[in-house]
Amino acid sequence: MSLVGLRKAFGATPAVDDLTLHVPRGSFTTLLGPSGCGKTTALRLVGGFLEPDAGRVLIGGVDQVGRPPNLRGVGMVFQDYALFPHLSVRANLEYGLRMQRVERALRAERVARAVALLGLAGLEGRYPHELSGGQQQRVALGRVLVLEPEVLLMDEPFSSLDAQLRLRLRAELKALQRELGVTTIYVTHDQEEALSLSDQVVVMDRGRVQQVDSPEGVYLRPANRFVAEFVGQANLLPVQVTATGSAAPAGGLTLTALGRPLSARLPDERRPEPGARGLAMVRPEHVVLLTDDVPPPAGGWRAAATVRARSFHGGFERYWVELPGVTEPWLVDVPLGPSLGGTTPASGRPAPGASVSIALPAFAASWLW
Amino acid sequence: MTAGLRSLGRLWRFDRGLLLAYGLAALFLLGFVVAPLVRVALEPSAADWRQVLTTPRWQRAALNTLVTVGLSTTSSLLLGTAFAFAVTRARVPGARLFSVVPLFLLLTPPFVSGLAFVLLLGRRGLLTYHLLGLETSVYGLHGVWLAQTLSFFPVAYLVLRGAFLAVDPTLEQAARGLGADRGQVLRSVTLPLVTPALLAAALFIAIGVLGDFGNPMLVGGRFQVLATAVYTQLTGWASFGTSAALGLVLLVPAVALFAAQQAVQAATRQRFATVGGRGAGLPAPAVAGWLRWSLFALCVLVTLFVLASQGVVFVGALTRLWGVDLAFTLEHARYAFGQVGGLGNSLRFASLAALLCTALSLLVAYLVQRGGVPARRGLDLATLLPAAVPGTLLGVAFVLAFNGPPLRLTGTGLIIVVAMAISYLPVGYRICAAAIEQLRPALDDSAANLGASKLRALLTVTAPLLRPALAATFVFAFVQAVGTLSTVIFLVSFDTPLASVTILNLAEQGSWGRAAALASALVLVTVAALALLYLVAGRSVRLWGFSRAGG
Ligand SMILES: Nc1ncnc2c1ncn2[C@@H]1O[C@H](COP(=O)(O)OP(=O)(O)O)[C@@H](O)[C@H]1O
Ligand SMILES: [Mg+2]
Repeated sequence: MSLVGLRKAFGATPAVDDLTLHVPRGSFTTLLGPSGCGKTTALRLVGGFLEPDAGRVLIGGVDQVGRPPNLRGVGMVFQDYALFPHLSVRANLEYGLRMQRVERALRAERVARAVALLGLAGLEGRYPHELSGGQQQRVALGRVLVLEPEVLLMDEPFSSLDAQLRLRLRAELKALQRELGVTTIYVTHDQEEALSLSDQVVVMDRGRVQQVDSPEGVYLRPANRFVAEFVGQANLLPVQVTATGSAAPAGGLTLTALGRPLSARLPDERRPEPGARGLAMVRPEHVVLLTDDVPPPAGGWRAAATVRARSFHGGFERYWVELPGVTEPWLVDVPLGPSLGGTTPASGRPAPGASVSIALPAFAASWLW
Repeated sequence: MTAGLRSLGRLWRFDRGLLLAYGLAALFLLGFVVAPLVRVALEPSAADWRQVLTTPRWQRAALNTLVTVGLSTTSSLLLGTAFAFAVTRARVPGARLFSVVPLFLLLTPPFVSGLAFVLLLGRRGLLTYHLLGLETSVYGLHGVWLAQTLSFFPVAYLVLRGAFLAVDPTLEQAARGLGADRGQVLRSVTLPLVTPALLAAALFIAIGVLGDFGNPMLVGGRFQVLATAVYTQLTGWASFGTSAALGLVLLVPAVALFAAQQAVQAATRQRFATVGGRGAGLPAPAVAGWLRWSLFALCVLVTLFVLASQGVVFVGALTRLWGVDLAFTLEHARYAFGQVGGLGNSLRFASLAALLCTALSLLVAYLVQRGGVPARRGLDLATLLPAAVPGTLLGVAFVLAFNGPPLRLTGTGLIIVVAMAISYLPVGYRICAAAIEQLRPALDDSAANLGASKLRALLTVTAPLLRPALAATFVFAFVQAVGTLSTVIFLVSFDTPLASVTILNLAEQGSWGRAAALASALVLVTVAALALLYLVAGRSVRLWGFSRAGG
């Protein structure tokens, strides 16, 4: 399935602008972005609930634009489930099959399969208002799955559930999607959800695609500052390019940051010119914190810094450190092992005000466009 | 029982104000709803019953009533639903304009439709006689049916408009996504979801038609229904027994409808209220082009007809002798505005009744939902009961119950005010109950936590928050009361004339000019009164806000 140059504006500002995307068959693709960036609009364009101003929606090579939603073979799970309140669970599950005039026996068989698959046994006679949030969610999903759609669309399906339930349903959904192999487009503003569920993540901002990559890709090699800051925490570092192309290590480049050489990853095939100035990004857990009395490891990049604050997060400890020449303070996450204090720093935990050094292993940084 | 006593004890100790209000409300409902109905039920003797059930004339009237109610309710519902669908879902051109047409009709008393029919389509009707040269007339079933449809379809429109607006368009879009075509969406999602509202409207209309006799009187001719029979029996023959028995016959279908509607509502209410509906900004799916344009044509047609029918009454008011001498005259207008007594009474009684109705509706709704008082189910039923009582029967019941000790009220304005208030109590109660349901109980609780008694909480927190619902109740009761005939025609006296009754009498005498002039004057002063209210009460008066609570 492919989207080609999709555009939809409400009034003057486009909600979705020039959206081009290939969704491999059977893949789990997530649209990720802040609220209002056009995710829902994009999904509705695919489902046929809105018509685009321009562009094409290709499913199996056939353009779907202009086709009504009931003829697209696309199943959509709405954010608020949109279960029919006047119909029982069974009737909700059966609804689409009835509309297609599927014969009774086959209908019962498919519904039974969905009930078993989604753990809804015993609830068939209930009405939506008699179900918990998680159960409503499962009916909404089952109602679509019984139609065996070519493409499954889900709009923030877990957003109104509590955190525990969300984790469980997320795991169930992933397993189910694998098992059925249905091509899925999923919408969320929760980066953790996107990273843990997807084969492919599409990061959007103000109607435009910022990056399309694997979860590892968008996290470790964000295309630009927006993606870096939206998908997880990002430490920014002003840099200048020293070598690219054949002079640089494969898939990366060499930079100068705060006067020292630094190797970095590149998000895509584009190569910056030598001498160009820009920003690199480092994830907090990739920074190594060294107290003054520990000698730095030879090679690699390092800089002097001052600790400003510290907070405890259970599995790790987070430090806010100030680097001379860098405006925003950096975050450094230090994992906590069985002995409090963990692997680093060896000689106790630096308190706010302490002078420290920070070091980056090779390729801990990534170039931002 | 003991739990009830305990809660009474608690009220006595901590909340005497609320207990007093509870006592007064209960007493009022017992005295003015339950007692008169019991009284009228006991009136007919066995001989009266035998006579009523065996006289062919009355058997025919009963049959006529059934036919009229069936036809008028069906056509009003169809027309009102189509109109509501046209302006809310089909998005016909000019929807905003069309959406006020039925509201305009609601401002005019129902019998104005009957009057208009006579002036337009009667023996000397403008259309039939003058334009088409026909000698036919609309008198009879056709006329009654048409006039009732015109009078009652706005009610269906209002209730259904609210219901259509309450259907989350996401549900319709979801149905499309699951493979339903446009017709299937309508049949399998939209219509089932508005069914409770449809039934509520059906009940209101059916019982309205059942008890109405303004229109049958004006355009029925020799076509007699039970309501007109009750009237002639009581005023012509002063036969209380037979008129009570005839009125009670009306109660049979009314109670059956009432029970059916209550049952459906009880079964669907929770199911429909609690699910979904954040309305994600998705518009409802478009309807088919042919349907949209047919609905548009229907809207145009109805609008033209409404304009013609209301306009002809104003024209009739300024015409010397309808059907004979169409010359312009101000004579009738002078007459009409000379009827200050009747017009003034209509306004005064209607506003007092609307006030009483609003206060009672709020009080009972609060007591039933939040008051923690005993016998809530009884209170609820007694308040809804008048919805099942055709106006004619209520009139007879009042005449019988308050004609002598212990409470002699006949001939006073009070009895008229109380009868009007009771007639609209069920609708007002539903409006207020629905609004209170929307208020979070935490508001009451926090008022209590801050030291307010329940009565204080009602007056200082709940009532101000319910202003829109209260205004809707008041306006509805006022507009209906101004134009009512069925109940009050039994209760007016020489000292307490009412414009609506005078209009009917004038029309019966063939004084079309005067009848039309007085009807026009009544419409004008009603509109003026509402405009004044609008200016004074400002934005909390959402004139037809009750439509959303109508189901
Ligand atoms: N029906 C609509 N009418 C007008 N503007 C809309 C409509 N739907 C969405 N928008 C606007 O388009 C933008 C994208 O909205 P949406 O797709 O719902 O974002 P998301 O799902 O990512 O939160 C928002 O600015 C929103 O206000
Ligand atoms: Mg959204």
